[in-house]
Amino acid sequence: SEMSKDMMPGPYPRTPEERAAAAKKYNMRVEDYQPYPDDGLGYGDYPMLPNKSQYERDPWYQWDQPDMRHNWGEPMHWDFDMYIRNRVDTSPTVVPWHTMRKHFLVFLSTMLIMFGLGAFYPSYRPVGPKQYPFNDLYLERGGDPNKEPPAVIHYEI
Amino acid sequence: MGAHLARRYLWDTEAEPDPVQMPTFPAELGLRERRPRAMVASAEQLAQGRVPLEQRDFCGHHLLRLMRCQRDNFPLPWGCHELRHAWDSCQHHDYVMRMKEFERERRLRQRQKQLRQEQEATE
Repeated sequence: SEMSKDMMPGPYPRTPEERAAAAKKYNMRVEDYQPYPDDGLGYGDYPMLPNKSQYERDPWYQWDQPDMRHNWGEPMHWDFDMYIRNRVDTSPTVVPWHTMRKHFLVFLSTMLIMFGLGAFYPSYRPVGPKQYPFNDLYLERGGDPNKEPPAVIHYEI
Repeated sequence: MGAHLARRYLWDTEAEPDPVQMPTFPAELGLRERRPRAMVASAEQLAQGRVPLEQRDFCGHHLLRLMRCQRDNFPLPWGCHELRHAWDSCQHHDYVMRMKEFERERRLRQRQKQLRQEQEATE
């Protein structure tokens, strides 16, 4: 299925006739056809379609390709391979963004404040430190055997 | 349980002990004949038994006997209850001693604060 040269994307359309020809090439109406702005990045006359992923398309309609939610001959988005259902999803969220952001920031700040308070004012039991024999386990904790350890005596109480 | 925390952080930092900097006072202050704690198991025995460092305390001899009994009775989990109780009881008394040390430190600090206040009152 070789495509002929006139079916490939071409340079940016300048005249209205070129726009009509490009729209016909991409199976679009002339009113809908809107190429990317010509800033030299190389889009050419490829149409600029809304940045919506395939998730937002009707799941119950009988598409020609149900997994892609795409009909034969329909113009594909420039980033179509990104917008398939396995990848990027631009569906609207259940809750508005600012509500989500506010809830997240409230939770995060509460957790950070509580952890900060716990770091500066730690909680401890009202007991003294645990007492260990042998000069607080000087040799077992890697003390130098040749040096004299600091004498630590624990008394009964 | 948090009364000592409230006293330390909100009201009275001077009279509440800081567990990181204990003990502050000399051991013989107020208690004339203090016996040093006796360690029954030796360091070599604890090392041969591969006891973790946190458990090489003054109850180590009970723990060594318990570990030997558990090793002999393996895989049956029962049979070492008496030795386990002995070790747990020793740990309990050790914890009570830690509580008493904390309370001694606290009373000495309060006494020190009172002496300081009396001295400042007379000046």
